[in-house]
Amino acid sequence: MRRAAFLAGAGLCLLPWLALPVAADEAHLVRDASREAYSLPFAGLGEYELERFRRGRGLFRQAWEVAPARDEDSDGLGPLYNRLTCAGCHPGNGRGRAPQGPDERMQSMLVRLSVEGRDPHGGPLPHPVYGEQFNEEAIPGVPGEGRAAVEWTYSEVVLADGERVELRRPRLVFKELGYGPLGRFMHSMRVGPPVFGLGLLEAVPQATLEALAAEAKPDGVRGRVNRVWSVERGETVAGRFGLKANAPDLRQQIASAMLGDLGITTTLFPAQNCTPAQTACRAAPDGGQPELMNAQLGDLEFYFAHLAVPARRDADAPQVRQGEALFGALGCALCHRPALTTGAHERFPRLSKRRIEPYTDLLVHDMGEGLADGRPDYLAGGREWRTPPLWGLGLLERVNGHGELLHDGRARNVLEAVLWHGGEAQAARDRVIRLPRAEREALLAFLRSL
Amino acid sequence: MGVATPDVLPGRRRVLAALGGGALLCGLAPLARAQAAPSPVVVLTSYPEEMMSRFEAAFERAHPQYRLQLRWRRPSDALTDLLKPGQDGVDVYWAASPRTFERLKETKALQTLGIDLSGLPAKLGGTRISDVDGLFVATELAGYGYVYAPAELARLGVPVPQDWRDLADPRLAGRIALPDPSRVGFAPVLVDIVLQAYGWEAGWALWSEIAGLSTLIRSGGGRVAEEVGPGRAAIGLSIDFFVAAAIAGGAPLRFAYPLHGGINPAHVALTAGAPNPAGGRAFAAFLLSEEGQRLLAAEDIRKLPVRPSVYATLPAGYHDPFAAAAAGGYAYDNEAGRARLTLVATLFAQMFIQGEQGHERYVALWSRIHAAERAGRDLRQIRALLGTPPLSERAAADPALLALFRERFEGESAELERIEVGWQWEAVKAWGEAERRLAALGA
Repeated sequence: MRRAAFLAGAGLCLLPWLALPVAADEAHLVRDASREAYSLPFAGLGEYELERFRRGRGLFRQAWEVAPARDEDSDGLGPLYNRLTCAGCHPGNGRGRAPQGPDERMQSMLVRLSVEGRDPHGGPLPHPVYGEQFNEEAIPGVPGEGRAAVEWTYSEVVLADGERVELRRPRLVFKELGYGPLGRFMHSMRVGPPVFGLGLLEAVPQATLEALAAEAKPDGVRGRVNRVWSVERGETVAGRFGLKANAPDLRQQIASAMLGDLGITTTLFPAQNCTPAQTACRAAPDGGQPELMNAQLGDLEFYFAHLAVPARRDADAPQVRQGEALFGALGCALCHRPALTTGAHERFPRLSKRRIEPYTDLLVHDMGEGLADGRPDYLAGGREWRTPPLWGLGLLERVNGHGELLHDGRARNVLEAVLWHGGEAQAARDRVIRLPRAEREALLAFLRSL
Repeated sequence: MGVATPDVLPGRRRVLAALGGGALLCGLAPLARAQAAPSPVVVLTSYPEEMMSRFEAAFERAHPQYRLQLRWRRPSDALTDLLKPGQDGVDVYWAASPRTFERLKETKALQTLGIDLSGLPAKLGGTRISDVDGLFVATELAGYGYVYAPAELARLGVPVPQDWRDLADPRLAGRIALPDPSRVGFAPVLVDIVLQAYGWEAGWALWSEIAGLSTLIRSGGGRVAEEVGPGRAAIGLSIDFFVAAAIAGGAPLRFAYPLHGGINPAHVALTAGAPNPAGGRAFAAFLLSEEGQRLLAAEDIRKLPVRPSVYATLPAGYHDPFAAAAAGGYAYDNEAGRARLTLVATLFAQMFIQGEQGHERYVALWSRIHAAERAGRDLRQIRALLGTPPLSERAAADPALLALFRERFEGESAELERIEVGWQWEAVKAWGEAERRLAALGA
């Protein structure tokens, strides 16, 4: 049996930097398993910080208006956009979901577009007419870009104990195109991911990522740091946010989503999201320059940075402990790193020097052809995805009313998500398939405890 | 749903076959299809995301021939849009802003909804909830009351308030979260419920004391419930859905409806120039249908349906305002109060708040009053100084004055500022006199 070897592999997560002194408190954890579990701030924030958190939360929840509006702080929607609010794609600060059929609109999912080639900084080359993101909606007087619908095809996996698991795969259909045929292009469907704990991930030192990438790992697991363009620094740096780790920091991730999803400009991305071919879009009124002030961007950043992480539940239950051991033994923990330690965060000191349990390495990995979107993003290839954090996973159903996972929401539960793993995760996935039912249940019980 | 052919061979080969087949599909270019597009129904609203997205999904599922285009506007901007020629292409206005609907009706910006309204009462208690001419129809209700933390009230030895007078309890000093009526949208009605329930003079006197016991919530109605909890407020004045959603989400709070209750209806209306009147009517009918009304009970919405028959299908304990009204609650007359809401909110701000430092001063005053009363002093005259409004109910009903305040809803005016400064001055004089008299009493 190869399990003994992988128990040793699980020990890889015990990296030297875990020995560094860390904050003794657990202010970043929230012991709340309610529907609000993803929405609570760090414990111990001062009144000024709480006020800032609330302002950020207000911006996260507020609907953006077509300019001009009496409240200049909330106008500037579009001209092209996907939804009216941030919360639309990240309900309850949690996970969106894919449409369940072709007649259902994308409420919390979007489609990235690009064509062959790279932009001047090595990123994806936006579609010349439709831009980098397919915006279904538009303000009055501007044509929307059309409709993207999802159709599902189904297949089945039989586990070693005979249990059958149905898998579904999305197929994208574009309709009612507003600016002519799309021609040759690449696309990638993205469901809005959870947004808590992001500050802690930002505070993980780059050296940690480099060290994780450099480690020798069994099973053909590699993992690499994506290298992406930092708009503020004007240089290529490590990427860590976004489903392909294509954003260097929280601030740029927020600014990019504000523009791409809502059409809200910032000092980082000051130009409206219109391509040269979209003339009505280019002539549309704006909501100021930029539409999201730096102070507002800072409030949003503070909010995301200080959304606490749900503490684990039932961690000492025998079945959960068995599942936790299996998680390491099967090789899952090679990428879904159970523990990391944050470094010093200059602007948000509460994030500094904390031992966190995100179950990610923030690296991009080849996940196989089954999950491939065929759309490179900086160094991340068409088969590569960033290891998503698993913290809070067990509360997804409670918070969002569904258990759907993976970048395009194809997996309807954790087991389906595991079965879609390929590439570097193929060996771990195959071990899960071979598990006896009781051990599989233990693994799932552990994942529910996160 | 397609199902793969049965396979008796468990294990990896079967898995690879399934995933490999799928991978091929993934490599195909997405399809671009031309087919008849659903016709757009443009809805102007000021609802939060949870409400918009639930109704959007459900309506489009029920009526695939239509596509909802939601546009978000605060009521004052919505009014501007809907008074423009062409009404900005909007078919439907859907919001909780009775004053805006009244203005739209006055300016003939609406057309008769023209849908079946059977099973939908036009009144609830003392309040007409739907327009008498059928130009706008209630879609949901929100009730006013108290959010409280049972453990905190117990710690203070204060029973759960049954009515507004119970809030004037010195043991609640600093532990009542009060939304600032000049800043929080739902709060002006709160003020007016008390004024109608107890009368103009007694109502202001009661508010004077409650305001002196309160901490202010200056923005965001949802903040009231957040302020209630250990070490913070024991009770807050709120509208029910903010709290019901928090309780449904697991917050250790309760909500109580007072004996003198009040409700705020939201409405739907079809614009006079609706480009898609059939679609607009379909949307309005959906909102009012059994299915649409049941959506209001979703955990993250928790509003009160206007279709009484729906309550039988809702979770146990769900507040039924129709039953409460039948038992004598909800005598509050929204229509009578609507014209003066901005006026009473402004008056409240000047009498009891006057900015952050002003309110601190006011709270300190009441703290001294309560301390002196505990020592046996009779301070009725000082109470009267603080609780007497600078104008009578009759003066407050002056149509010219109300017209000025109605315009404030749509913008500022110099005349209004002059009036407001006058009220401010009257209040400052009263506060100063109260302080002087307290000092003279050694209190």
